[in-house]
Amino acid sequence: MISLRHVGKTFGAGPARHTALSDVSLTVEKAEFVILHGRSGAGKTTLLRLLYRDELPSEGEIEVAGFDVPALRRRQIPRLRRSIGIVFQDAKLLAGRTVFENIAFVLRVIGTPRKEITPRAFAALKAVGLSARAQAYPTQLSQGEAQRASLARAIAKSPLLLLADEPTGNLDEDMAGEILDVIRDIWQRGTTVLLATHQAGLADSLKRRTLTLHAGQLVKDQG
Amino acid sequence: MLTFLASEAARDLRRAGRVGLSAVLLITLSLAALGCFWLLSLNLGQAVAQWRERVRIVAYLRDEPRPAAVDDFLARVQALDGVQRVRFVSRAEALSSLKRSLGAQASVVDHLPRNPLPASIEVVPTPAAATPDGTRGLVERLAALSEVEEVQGGAEWVDSLAQWQRLFQLTGLGVGAVLALAAILTVTTATTLVLHARRDEMEIMRLVGATETVIRLPLLLQGMAQGLLGAAVALAALVGAHALVAPRVEPLLTLTLGLSRAVFLSAPEMMLLLAGGAMLGALGGLLAKGRAYS
Repeated sequence: MISLRHVGKTFGAGPARHTALSDVSLTVEKAEFVILHGRSGAGKTTLLRLLYRDELPSEGEIEVAGFDVPALRRRQIPRLRRSIGIVFQDAKLLAGRTVFENIAFVLRVIGTPRKEITPRAFAALKAVGLSARAQAYPTQLSQGEAQRASLARAIAKSPLLLLADEPTGNLDEDMAGEILDVIRDIWQRGTTVLLATHQAGLADSLKRRTLTLHAGQLVKDQG
Repeated sequence: MLTFLASEAARDLRRAGRVGLSAVLLITLSLAALGCFWLLSLNLGQAVAQWRERVRIVAYLRDEPRPAAVDDFLARVQALDGVQRVRFVSRAEALSSLKRSLGAQASVVDHLPRNPLPASIEVVPTPAAATPDGTRGLVERLAALSEVEEVQGGAEWVDSLAQWQRLFQLTGLGVGAVLALAAILTVTTATTLVLHARRDEMEIMRLVGATETVIRLPLLLQGMAQGLLGAAVALAALVGAHALVAPRVEPLLTLTLGLSRAVFLSAPEMMLLLAGGAMLGALGGLLAKGRAYS
């Protein structure tokens, strides 16, 4: 599902040059649940951004869901991103739309047939246990609910891969546990999951394969 | 998808708020001004075309030709360059025509010792020759005929009418262009505000795999909608103003320009005005997009 070969990423030039990733090689198989662990600034977010082609690598090869990511032309990028669900630390819900509308919006912009939108949106809400809050606006949600809505939005388009960038970073322990349960459910339905976190305890508790990044280098591949 | 794009454009239009409304108003003003001058120019153009058809050149003859020689003379005139039609007016016909125009005072003519009026020919120039230069040339050709004593008539005044028409056209275009520029800038500002309001939405759209067309088209559509709305209001205002003013000015138009009625824009011209408005709006939307992406 994911393959990185000798990937490096630097930002800036001259004295301001900063190496975010250096010679990273890894593979993630289909339907695998992998934790990407590392401190803040270790390069986790940069690595995820390379996967959904928000950034181009300075060197190396990246393949995601069969796409040669760096070689994609601008107009081909949407095809890659439709196969990926992305969740961030902040839920990034659209304030002026209800939870249901947030999900329906995403389905509409990727061209989902009209009659499929409502059932797919409700199926996604059911999968994250948020059906009862479909008509709530983001400001009316708790942080945990907002993150679950964000997950529902990510899975509504049935992605092959779920990228979660610190999805529990803003949550207390109980809420974080709920979110991890939801992500585990999503994985158990066949979606490949790559979850980035700086929380060592969380990585340990999941008991899944863990890739550890340190100062832009992959220092450990465990489990 | 089209319904979705249209509904997103409508949402953007609401988001543009007062600036969007200002853009619509400015487009209305610019197209109404343009339309006003267009109408003036259109009516003057009608008058010019009508008067060009009425241009006549009269050539007075030294002597009235013998009846047998009239046809030969007329054939020679007809063969001249720039002549569409020619009619012979005998001295007797000229006198009876004078009597008719004198009306109640026609008996005055009977007291004349003899008919003082010369025979003449009335020449209608071809449309191409009904210009100041064309008629000048025709006058010269007619004056060169040995039978002709004096030639009168020309199209200078028609040309000055045509110059007024051009002036109205240019003024209309100038005023319209200045106002249109202001309208484009306002649509650009309104769309830029919408872009800022939509920043989060656009980020989400990109992340989930929406195409650039789907992301950008609503912006273009909302600009077009502003333009179309402004043009429709301008057109409605022009229709209203024409309905109100035309009956009052038509007698004056008949008296001065010989027009029986004040004409309004034709259906294709109205469509052109609406399309112009939509294009102004779309241009504003495009410029805002460029500004936002640059």
